[in-house]
Amino acid sequence: MTAIRLEGVTRSYGAVRAVDDVSLTVNEGEFFTLLGPSGCGKTTLLRMIAGFTDVEHGSIWFGARRIDAVPAHRRNTGMVFQSYAVFPNLTVAGNVAYGLRARKVGRAETGARVARALASVQLGALGERWPHELSGGQLQRVAIARSLVIEPAVLLFDEPLSNLDAQLRTQLRVEIRQLQRQLGLTAVYVTHDQEEALAVSDRIAVMRAGRVEQVGPPEAIYRTPGTAFVAEFMGSTNMLPGRIEAVDGAEIAVRAGGAMFRVQGAAGTVGDPVLLSIRPETMRVLAGDADGRSVTEDGRSVTATLVLREFLGPTLRLHTVLPDGTPLRVAALGGQEIRQGAGGALLLGYDAAQIILYPAS
Amino acid sequence: MKGIGGLGAFRACVCLAALLFLGVFLVYPLATVLLASVRDPDTGAWTLAPYRQIAASRYYLGSVGNSLLAGVLSMGFVCVLAVPLAFCLARLEVPGKPVLLTLASLPLVLPSFVGAYALVLLFGHAGIATVAMRDIGLPVGSIYGMPGIVIVFTLTLYPYVLMPVMAGFQAVDIAIEEAARNLGGSRFHVFRTVLLPVVMPSVLAGALLVFIEALENFGVPAVLAEDRPFLALDIFKLFAGESDSNPGAAGALSVLLVACTAGVLVLQRRWLARRRFATGARRVPPPIVLGRGGRIAAGVFCWAVVLLSVLPFAAVLVISFQHFRGPVLNWEITLSNYAALLRGSYRPLWNTLLLASIAAMAVTLLGAPIGYVLARHRSRLSTLLDIVVTVPFAVSGTVLGIGLVIAFNSGWLVLTGGWLILSVAFVVRKLPFSVRSAGAIVHQIDPSLEEASINLGVSPLRTFLTMTVPMMAAGLAGGMVLVWVTVTSELSATIVLYSSRWRTMTVLMFQSLEGTAPGEAAAAASILIVFTALPLLLVYRLLQRQGMGVL
Ligand SMILES: Nc1ncnc2c1ncn2[C@@H]1O[C@H](COP(=O)(O)OP(=O)(O)O)[C@@H](O)[C@H]1O
Ligand SMILES: [Mg+2]
Repeated sequence: MTAIRLEGVTRSYGAVRAVDDVSLTVNEGEFFTLLGPSGCGKTTLLRMIAGFTDVEHGSIWFGARRIDAVPAHRRNTGMVFQSYAVFPNLTVAGNVAYGLRARKVGRAETGARVARALASVQLGALGERWPHELSGGQLQRVAIARSLVIEPAVLLFDEPLSNLDAQLRTQLRVEIRQLQRQLGLTAVYVTHDQEEALAVSDRIAVMRAGRVEQVGPPEAIYRTPGTAFVAEFMGSTNMLPGRIEAVDGAEIAVRAGGAMFRVQGAAGTVGDPVLLSIRPETMRVLAGDADGRSVTEDGRSVTATLVLREFLGPTLRLHTVLPDGTPLRVAALGGQEIRQGAGGALLLGYDAAQIILYPAS
Repeated sequence: MKGIGGLGAFRACVCLAALLFLGVFLVYPLATVLLASVRDPDTGAWTLAPYRQIAASRYYLGSVGNSLLAGVLSMGFVCVLAVPLAFCLARLEVPGKPVLLTLASLPLVLPSFVGAYALVLLFGHAGIATVAMRDIGLPVGSIYGMPGIVIVFTLTLYPYVLMPVMAGFQAVDIAIEEAARNLGGSRFHVFRTVLLPVVMPSVLAGALLVFIEALENFGVPAVLAEDRPFLALDIFKLFAGESDSNPGAAGALSVLLVACTAGVLVLQRRWLARRRFATGARRVPPPIVLGRGGRIAAGVFCWAVVLLSVLPFAAVLVISFQHFRGPVLNWEITLSNYAALLRGSYRPLWNTLLLASIAAMAVTLLGAPIGYVLARHRSRLSTLLDIVVTVPFAVSGTVLGIGLVIAFNSGWLVLTGGWLILSVAFVVRKLPFSVRSAGAIVHQIDPSLEEASINLGVSPLRTFLTMTVPMMAAGLAGGMVLVWVTVTSELSATIVLYSSRWRTMTVLMFQSLEGTAPGEAAAAASILIVFTALPLLLVYRLLQRQGMGVL
C-alpha cells in the first residue's frame, strides 16, 4: 500500500501544456480515477507516474520516496494498457511470469504465483495458450494478471476497457474493482467514460486542458459539480443561459429560456449573466391542468412544450422546448403515464436545491 | 534524457556514432568533390572555372540535357505502363496473379545494365534478333542512345511506381467508391474522380524515384550510350579517363547531378508526407468482375508487360550456354563461356560474395539501431540524423566513389585500393534502405509492448535486446538479403573504387563488354542474374508480409 503525491507536476509538448501544474494526493488503497475528454492530459499524467514521460516541473512521491527521477523499470508499478500489450512471443503463463523473472523469483514460487494470478482473473485453465488464441477480453485479463502478480506499489490503468464491447466492459470493470479492493492496492485509473468513472472510483479527478477541475467522490462530482464544465461533462445536463432578475436572500430568480427559475445560490447581482445546470432526471412532470397553470404547492415549476418522446425502457426521455424555444430534456420513469402528444403543454416541477448556478464565462 | 535506464544513452550513442560515420564517409567525401569543383588544383585559389567550362561546352550541356531527358521520358513511360498495371493487379481478376507479382518484383534487384546488355545482345549491331530480322529483310532501328536507354529504364524501374500504386488502389476504402457510384458516377468517372486522386501522391512519389534512379544510373548508359554524352558516364570519364582527366569538371558535373537528384528527392518527400489520405480501408476491395473480353485484355496486358521486363534476362541466361565463335553465335549448348570467364580465377566471384556479405551485415548492424531510434524517438539529434541518412538516396554511386577516392587517397586515412573502401561505399549507399526497412518493422511493433516490459522491471536496454530485437529479426533478415542482392549487382561506385585485386563480378562483366567475346559477358551477366534473383525469390514471402515498401 502506497500513497501517491503529485506536486505542481507540469509537462508541455511544444506550445501545448499537456499537464499544467497538477497537485493531487491519492490515498493508500484508494481507487482514483482521472477523468476527462480526449486530449486533456490524462495519459500524460499517468505516464509520468509510470516513468515513461519525463516530468518537466514538480515532483512525484510514492509514500515518502520521491520517484520522478527513478527509471521506469525500478518504480514497481503495474500498468495495464489500452492495447493490452501482451507479449505475442510468450504464452499466457510466460506473460504473467515475465515480471517475476525480471525480479529473479525462484521457479517454484513463480509457478505458484502465476497460477494464483491467473485464477484470480478466471484464466486458470489457459496458462499454456498463446496470445493469438485469446479474445480481447481474455487478453486484457492476462495483462491484468501480469501486473498484479508482481505485487506492485501502485496499479496504473490507461483506458483498459475501451477496446472491448459494452457488455464485457461493465463486467470487467467490476472484476478490476474487486481485485483492487481484495489486494488493497492503490490504483490510478484513466478513462474518458464518465459512467465507468462513477461506477468504480473512490474518488475522481476531472481534468480539462491539462488542469484538474474538481476532485471528489463520485456522488459529489455528479451532484454538485464545481464548474459548468464538470456539470456538462458528467452527464447529459441541460445548460441554460440566463440572467439574474432578482436576489432575495439565499434565493435567486433567474430568467432563462423565457421562463423564471427560482434557485438557491451564493450571492449574485441583478443583471448578471449566468448558466443554469438542470439534470433531466431532477425535473418532474406534474399533473397540471392543460393550460399549464401552476399547481405546485411552492410554485417551483415551468411550462414547456413537448416536441418528441423517446421510450428507453426504464426511462422515458422527453424533448421539450421552453417558451422562447430553448430545448430542455426531461427524464421521466418509463412507467409514468404522460398523456400529452407532440405539441402538448407540460408542467415541469423542479427542486431548487438541485439546479446549480454558474457564472457565465 | 535523465533516468531512462540506459536507453537514453543508447539512443544518443546510436545517433552520434551514425552521424560520425556518415560525416566521415559521406559528408566529408561529398565536400571534397564540391571543393574540387571550386578550387584550382595547382594554386588552391577559389575559382568557378570548371562551371564556366561546362557552360561553354556543347558536349557537357548535351550531357546534362540528355540525362534529364532520359529521366523525364522514363518517368513518363513508367507511369503510362505501371498505373494501369497496378490497377489491373490490384482490382481485377488476372490469371496467375501471384506469379505475376513475384516476377514484377524481380526488376527491382536484377542489375539494370545486364538488362541493357540483353538488349544489345538481341537488338544491337550484331544482335541475334537484328541479324535474324535482317536476313528476312526486316530493318531494325538502332537501339543505341536515347531509345534503348529509355526502354531499359522503363522496363527495369516500373516497379517503383507499380508497388506503391497497387498498395494505394487496395487501400482505397470501398465505401468511398460505392458512395461515388451510388451518387450516380459511372465506373470510369469514379476511377478518374475518386481513385486516381487518391493514388496520385503514390504515383508521383514513385515516378520521382524513377527520375532519380534514371539520372544517377551509370551502367545502362555505359552499355548503350556509345559516344553520346550522359551525365553519370561523363563524370566517370572526366575523373578516371586516362587522357582527358579533369577532376574540376568532374566535380562540377557531380555537383550538378547531386543538386538535381537532391532537389527531386525533396519534392518526392513532400509528396510522401501528404500520402496519408489513402488509408482507412477496412478490407481489401473485392475484385471488379469484367466481361470475357475485358478479362482477356487485362490478362494479356499484365502478362505482356511483366514478361517483356524479365524476358531479356531469361534470354541472357539461355545465350550464356550457347557456343560463340568470335562474335558469332552457334546454337550449341556449352559451358565454355563460363570456363573462359572464370579462366583460372574465381577471385571476382569470391570478392562479390564476400563484399556483399560484409556490406549486408555491416549495414544491418548499423541500420537497425538507427531505424529503431528514428522510429521511436524524436530529438534534435535524431532529426538531423534522419536528414543526413537520407542523403545517400540523392548521391549517385559514381559521385560517392569519386568523393571517397579524393578523400581517402592520401592524408590521415588511406583506404583506396582495398576491400574496406568498397565496403564503406556499399554501406553508405545502402544505409537509407536499411534504416527505412528497420523503421517499417519497428512501426509494426506496438510501443506498449516495450513499455509493458519496462514497467514489469526489465531495463530499457535489456528490453530492446531481449524483446525488440528478436521481434525485428525476421524482418531484418529479409532486409539483409535485399541489401546483399543489391550490393551484388552494384556497379556505379565499384567501377570507381575497385583495384585489380578487388575486382567484382560487375566489374568483370563491365570489362568483358568492351572485349569481343559476347559469350563471356553473357556468362558474367547470368551469374549476376542468378545471384540476385534467387535470394529475392527465397525471401519473397517474408518481404511481402512486410509490404515491399522497404525497396
Ligand atoms: N508525445 C507527444 N508529443 C506531442 N504531443 C503530445 C504527446 N503526447 C501527448 N501530447 C499532447 O498532449 C495533450 C494531452 O495528451 P494525452 O495525455 O494523451 O491526452 P488524453 O490521454 O487525456 O487523451 C494532447 O494535446 C496531445 O496532443
Ligand atoms: Mg489517453
